Amino acid sequence: MRLLEATAIAKSFAGVQALKGVSFELREGEVHALVGENGAGKSTLIAVMTGALAADSGTLAVRGRLLSPNSPGLARSLGIAAVYQQPSLFPDLTVAENIAFSLERRGLWRRVDWKARTRQARELLARAGADILPGRLVGTLSMPEQQIVEIAKAIGADARILILDEPTSSLTGYEVDRLFAVIAALRGRGAGIIYISHRLEEISAIATRVTVLRDGEAVATRAVAETNRDELIRLMVGREISTIFPKREIPQGGVVLETRRLGSRAAGIRDVSLSVRRGEILGLAGLVGSGRTQLAETLFGLTPADSGEIVLHGRPVRIPSPEHAIRLKIGYVPEDRRRHGVVGEMPVAENTTLANLRAVSRRGMIDRACECALARQYVDRLRIKTDSIHAPAESLSGGNQQKVALARWLAIAPEVLILDEPTQGVDVGSKSEIHGLMVELAERGLAIIMISSELPEILGMADRIAVMHGGAVAGTLSRAEATQQKILSLALG
Amino acid sequence: MRQTMRHVMLDSHRREISLVAAILAIAAVMAIAAPGFFTWGNERDLVMANLPVLIVALGMTLVILTGQIDISVGSQFAICSVAAGVFARLGMPTPAACLAACLAGAAMGALNGALIAYARVPSIVVTLATMVALRDGLRWVTEGAWVADLPRTFQWFGRSQAASEGIAMAVAALLAAGIGWGLRHLAAGRAVYATGSSARAARLAGIRPAHVIFAVLALTGALTGCAAGLNAVRFNQVPANAGLGLEMQTIAAVIVGGTAVTGGRGGIVGTLLGVALLGIIGPALTYLGISAYWERALQGGIILAAVAMDAVRVHAREHGSLAAERS
Amino acid sequence: MAALPPSDRRPWRDRWSPNGEWVLLFALVLETAVFSAFGRNFFTLGNFFEVVRLSVELGLLALALTPVMITGGIDLSVGSMMALAAVVFGAAWRDAGLPAGAAIALALLAGCAGGALNALLITGLGIPPIIVTLGSFSMFRGIAEGITRGAANYSNFPKALVMLGQGYWWGVLPVQLPILAAAIAAYAVLLHRSAIGRTLYAVGFSPAGARYAGIRVARRVALVYFLSGLAASVAAIVYVAHLGQAKSDAGTGYELAAITAVVLGGTSVSGGRGTVWGTLLGLFSITILQNGLRLAALPSELTGVLTGAVLVLAIVLGRLRSSPRARTSEATTPMKNSQLAILCAVIVAAALLVAGTNIWLVRSLRPPGAAASPAGSTGGRRPVIAMMPKAKGDPYFTSCRTGAEEAARETNVDLIWDGPTGLDPARQNEVVESWITRRVDAIAVSVENQAGISTVLRKARERGIRVLTWDADAAPDARDYFINQATPEGIGFTLTDEAARLLGGRGEFAIVTGALSAANQNQWIAFIRRRLAAQYPHLKLLDIRPSDDDRDKAFAETQTILKVHPNARLIMGIAAPAVPGAAEAVRQSGRKDVYVIGLSLPNLCKRYVHDGVVQSVVLWNTRDLGYLTVYTAARLTGNAIPAGATSFAAGRLGTIEVRGDQVILGKPFIFNRANIDQFDF
Repeated sequence: MRLLEATAIAKSFAGVQALKGVSFELREGEVHALVGENGAGKSTLIAVMTGALAADSGTLAVRGRLLSPNSPGLARSLGIAAVYQQPSLFPDLTVAENIAFSLERRGLWRRVDWKARTRQARELLARAGADILPGRLVGTLSMPEQQIVEIAKAIGADARILILDEPTSSLTGYEVDRLFAVIAALRGRGAGIIYISHRLEEISAIATRVTVLRDGEAVATRAVAETNRDELIRLMVGREISTIFPKREIPQGGVVLETRRLGSRAAGIRDVSLSVRRGEILGLAGLVGSGRTQLAETLFGLTPADSGEIVLHGRPVRIPSPEHAIRLKIGYVPEDRRRHGVVGEMPVAENTTLANLRAVSRRGMIDRACECALARQYVDRLRIKTDSIHAPAESLSGGNQQKVALARWLAIAPEVLILDEPTQGVDVGSKSEIHGLMVELAERGLAIIMISSELPEILGMADRIAVMHGGAVAGTLSRAEATQQKILSLALG
Repeated sequence: MRQTMRHVMLDSHRREISLVAAILAIAAVMAIAAPGFFTWGNERDLVMANLPVLIVALGMTLVILTGQIDISVGSQFAICSVAAGVFARLGMPTPAACLAACLAGAAMGALNGALIAYARVPSIVVTLATMVALRDGLRWVTEGAWVADLPRTFQWFGRSQAASEGIAMAVAALLAAGIGWGLRHLAAGRAVYATGSSARAARLAGIRPAHVIFAVLALTGALTGCAAGLNAVRFNQVPANAGLGLEMQTIAAVIVGGTAVTGGRGGIVGTLLGVALLGIIGPALTYLGISAYWERALQGGIILAAVAMDAVRVHAREHGSLAAERS
Repeated sequence: MAALPPSDRRPWRDRWSPNGEWVLLFALVLETAVFSAFGRNFFTLGNFFEVVRLSVELGLLALALTPVMITGGIDLSVGSMMALAAVVFGAAWRDAGLPAGAAIALALLAGCAGGALNALLITGLGIPPIIVTLGSFSMFRGIAEGITRGAANYSNFPKALVMLGQGYWWGVLPVQLPILAAAIAAYAVLLHRSAIGRTLYAVGFSPAGARYAGIRVARRVALVYFLSGLAASVAAIVYVAHLGQAKSDAGTGYELAAITAVVLGGTSVSGGRGTVWGTLLGLFSITILQNGLRLAALPSELTGVLTGAVLVLAIVLGRLRSSPRARTSEATTPMKNSQLAILCAVIVAAALLVAGTNIWLVRSLRPPGAAASPAGSTGGRRPVIAMMPKAKGDPYFTSCRTGAEEAARETNVDLIWDGPTGLDPARQNEVVESWITRRVDAIAVSVENQAGISTVLRKARERGIRVLTWDADAAPDARDYFINQATPEGIGFTLTDEAARLLGGRGEFAIVTGALSAANQNQWIAFIRRRLAAQYPHLKLLDIRPSDDDRDKAFAETQTILKVHPNARLIMGIAAPAVPGAAEAVRQSGRKDVYVIGLSLPNLCKRYVHDGVVQSVVLWNTRDLGYLTVYTAARLTGNAIPAGATSFAAGRLGTIEVRGDQVILGKPFIFNRANIDQFDF
C-alpha cells in the first residue's frame, strides 16, 4: 500500500531549479532512505512534503488523496511529521508544551488543559525511551534530548509518515541504537519513514529502500539489500571515488602539544593526559557528552583549564582565551559550523582572515588587497566553490562553508589544528576533499586532533585514537590495534 | 523529582519574587517613615494615576513577548485622547467616544502591525517612524489647542466620581485578568509565546507568526485607545500633548517586570508588579521628602540596580549549579 | 601587492550601497532639488555650512551610535549623557573655578565614566543594552538635574570657547566643522579600515561566531559603549559652546533623533550591517529636511511626518531590492501578494480615514479666522515678519498667534510662525539661523535661553534684520525692542501677593512648575522666594513639584502634595497645563479649604474659576501680546517708530507707551470669577 506518492515535483528559487521533477514513493512499514550530496534537493523535497513550501508543479498524494494545495496544517492532519537536523522547538517553553503544540487541534480560542499536556508528554517521552521532565524548559536541554522531544512529538502525532532529517548527526552510538528501536516500533505499526542521512552504514542497517537524489533529480531507487556503499556513492556523485580515506603513512616528529592531568570544572573534564606529534592525526572518539568538544574548547581557551597543565613544545603554557591559543598557533574548527565555524553573513574573504587580521593589516589597518589575495589563495587551494570571494559565506553549500572555516585556521599557519566533527553534514565529495587536505596538512608537519562520532572516519584517518568517557580519557589505541568494537567498549565505559 | 519541579517553578518566577520583595521593602520603609502613605485615598489615587500606564503595558507585554517593540504608544495615546474629546464634543455619548478612541488606536496599531508583520520592517524602525510622524502630525493639526467646552456628561461619564473610578478600575482589572488568563490558558495566548520564542518553530507548528504579530500590535493600539479614553474622562478637557514619555514608562515597567526583550519569556503578573514598583517609587520619594530634583536619578538608579542584582544572581546560580552538576 | 583580478575586486554595490543607501541618496537629491526651488536662499554656500553646523552635535551622536548598533546593541543614554557632561563642565568651570581646559577634560572624563558604566553592566553582567541604557537614560539626566537643582544655568563662558560653537573661519567655515570632520574620519577608519572595526561587524552578525574566531567580544563591545559615552561628552562641549550655556536639559530627545539618522542610513537594528557613509546620508537627509522646511516657510511639524515616511519607505525599498535572496532563505508564510495588497490597502485607508476625520473635526472646532491665511507668497514684496514662540503647540502661544495673525492682516505683512516642537533648547537658535539665511525683514523671539540666543540675534541685527523680543527678553544689545508684557519680577511678585492675600499672609503652600529645568519658571520661582523672604515671613513654601507641561502629571503631583502636606492651603501652578491639573486634583479631593492660583490661560481655567476651585489666574492678554508684537515689527520695518519715541499708535490697542527700548503692554492681569468671561483665549 502506498502511503505517500510524489510525482514530478518541481520547485525553483529565483531562477535556480532546486527540484527538476522528482518522483518518490513511500510504502507502509518501510524505511525509505533519501541520500544525496548537500544541495541535491533533499531539504526542498521535504519542505514540499510537509507543506512548508509550495511546489511549482507536480502532485503529492497521501494514501491516494491529492494534497493540492499542501499546507503545514493539512500535511500534519494527514499524519506527516518531520524531525529536522536542527530541532524546531520553542526554547522558552516547557517540554510538555512543545509536544502539545503540534498535537492539539487548531483553534485560537480553545482552552489549554495543562494537566492533560503533562500527562501526555510523560507518556510520549516514555515511549520514546527518554527520561526528561515534562516541566523543563527546552532551552535547558542538550541537543540529543531536544531531538528526542521532536521524536516524541512525532510519535504523539501518530505519524503515519515520519521524516527524519539527519537524526543521528549529534547522537552517540547508544542513542542511535535507541532511536533505531523507536523506528522499528513505528514501522511495526505500519508507519512509513523517510530517513535522510550522510552515514551510509546507518542506511544499510535500518533502511529497506534507498533513493538517491542528485542535482534536483531522483537518479535511482534501490532495495538496500541489492546495493552497496560504493554504488550509492557513485550514484550520488556520479563518479567513483577511488579511496574513501586517503590516509598515508607520514613520518612523525617530536611532541608538539601535551596535556598533563588537565582538568576544568566548568568544562567538565578531568585528568586528561594526551600528546600529539608533528605529522600525527590524533583521533578523539567517545559518545556525545563524553567531553571531547569540551576538551577541545579547553585547549582553545574557550573554557580555560583550572588544573593540570598544557605543554607546548616542551614548555608549559596557559591558554586563558582563544586569543592566546591563536598566538600559540592553535586552531580550532568547531562542531557547529553555522553558529561558530563561519559568520554566515560575512563574505568569504572576511571569514578567511577573521582569526588572523594581524596578517593582513598594517598598524591595525586592514589592507584590502592583501586580504583579497589571501582569500583567493585559499579559495583556489581548498577548491571552495563560490561565485566570488565577496559572496556571503551562508550562500555556500555546507561542505564549502566547512572549507571556509578550515581556511580561516590555515590562515594563521597553525602548528596544532583541532577539527571537531569536520565532515558532519558535509556531502560526500567535500568530505573526501577535506580528508585529503588533512593528510596534506599532516605531511607539512601539523599536529592534528580530530574529533568524530563516525567510527569509520576515525579508524580511517587517525594514527592514534584516544577514547573519552565521562570527561576523562578512557584509553588510547594505536591505528593497528583499533577496531570499532574496542573503541565502543571504551566509550561505553 | 518533586524537588526539581519546585526548583523549576521558583526559577521561572524569580523576577516576580524579587519584585514583590522590592515592593515590600519600599512598603516597609513607608510604613515606618510615612504611615500616611497607606490610606485608602492614596492607594486609589495611585491606582488611578497609573491606570493608563498599566493598560498600555498589558499590550506592550504582548508585543515584547513576540519579540517586537512599540515605541509609538505615547503618540497614539495623544491622538486617541484628542479623538475621544472631539467625538464627545460632537455630541457622541461618552462611552461611544471612548470606543471610537479605541478604534482609532486599533487602526494606528494595525498600521504598525502591517508594516512590521507583512512588510517585514523591524518594529523599532516602524514605531520610531510612527512615533515621530503621529506626534508631529497631531501637533500640526491641533496646533496645541486643547479640546475644551466638553459636555458636562463627559467627565466621569456624567456619573459620580467614585462610580466611574470604579468602572475604570474594573475595566483595567478585567483587561489584566483577561489577558493574563488568556496568555496562560488559551491557545491564542500560547501562540504569542511561541512566536516570540521561535518564529521558525511556530511556523512549523502551524502558527502564522505574521498574523500573531499583526494582532498584538493592533491590540496594543486598541488598549492604548482604551487607556486614553478612560484617562480623558477623569477631566473636563483634553490636552493635545498627552502621553509624552508614555512609551518609556511602559517599556520600563514591562522589562522590570521580567519580560525578556528577546521575546518568549515573561508575563502579565510581572508587568503588573513592574507597573506597581515604578508607580510607587515617585510618590514614595515625595512622601519621604526627597527633592524632586533627585527623583529621576534615583528612579534610573533603582531600575539599574534591580536588573543588575538579578543578573548577578543568575550568574552566580549558573556557575554554582554547573559546578554542582559536574561534581 | 599585485593588482587584484577584476573578479576579486569588491563590487561597487558592496562598497557604496550595501544596505540600500541609494534610496537615501536619491531622497537627499530630491530634497535638495525641491527646496532649491521653493526655499529662499536654500541653495547657497552659506546655508550649506549652516546645515553642517547644526548637524555637528547630532552627527557626533549618530556616528557614535553606528558602531554600537553594528554590534547589535543600542545606547539610549547618549542624550542624557550630553546633559550630564554639560553640567559637569559648567559646574567645574564656574562652581569649582577650574580653567576651561580642565573643565572640558573633566566633562570628557564624565562621558568616559558614563560609557564605562554602561559597558560594565552590558558586558560584565550580560544585561541587554536596551535595559541598561534605558536605566542610565533616566539616571544620567537625573544626576544632571540633581547637581543643578534643575535651575542652575552656567553661561558667560570665555570667548575662545564660545568661538568653538559660534565662530567662523574665514568668515564662512563654522569652527566646529573640523571636529565633525575628524570624528567622521575617525569612525570611518575605525569601522571600514581597522582590524577592530572588522571584528565589530563579526560581533554584530554572530557574537558566538566571533568568540570562536578568537575575538575578545566583551572587550570590543565595551569599547563601543565607552566611545559612545566619550562622543556624547564631546558633543556636549560643542553644544555648550554653540548655545553659550550648560544646563540639565541639554540634548533632550537627541538619542531618538540620532537613532533615527543611523537607522535611516541603513544600519541594521539586529547588528552586523551599517556604514559611516550611510549614517551621514541619514543625518543630512534629516537636517536638510528641517532646514529646507524652515527656508520654505513650511510648518516644522512636517519634519516628523516626512522623516517617519522616509524611514519606512527607505527600508521597504531597500528590502525590495534584495528580496529574492531573502525570500528563499526564510521559509515565509505563504501569503498571496494580492491578499497582502488588499490588507495593506484596507489598513492604509482606515488610517487615512481616522487621520482625515481627525483633521476635519479638529479644524471644524477651531474658531473661524484662526486657521486663515498663513501668508501666501503672492503679491508684491511685502515685509516678512518671523515670529517664534518658545514652544509650538503650547496653548499659551497658540493664543498669541491669533493676535499676531490679526495684526499681520491689518498691517499687510507676511507672518512666519515657527518654533521648537520639542523640549530641545538648541532648536530656537537653529530656527533663527535659518531665518537669517532666508533674509526675513524682522524677527520676534520669545526667548527660552537668554545666554544662548543673544549671539545669534546680534548676528541677525548685523545683517540688517530688525529684532524684537517678546514674552521673554534677550540681552538688551541683541534686540531693538522688547515687547514687555510683564517682567519675571512682576509675575513672581503678583503671584506671591495674590497667595498672601488669599491666605491672609499666613500659611503653607506648594508650587507645581513646568519642567524642572524650564528657564522661565525657575526665574519666577526665584522672585517668589525673594518676595516671601522680604514681605511674608509667615508664608511657607513647602515643595516644588514638576509637571513636565503635562496636565495629567500636574494632577497626580497635586494629589500627592495634598496628602504629604495636609497643611498646604494653596497650590500655585506656574505652567499653563499645571493650573487645570492642580484644580482638578483639588476638586476631586473634596477639599474646600485649598486654594488654587497660578499662571495659565483663562480658557483652560474658566470652568474651575466658576466652580470656585481656582481663585485667580495671573496673566496678560496673550492675544494683545501677539498683536502688539507684530504691529511693532511692522512699524519698525516701515521705519515708523523713530529712535527715542515715547509712544506710538498700535491699531486697536490705541497708543502704546515706549519706555527706552521696551514697549509696554501693561501690567499682569488677574482674572477671577468677575471678569474671566470677558476673555476668550
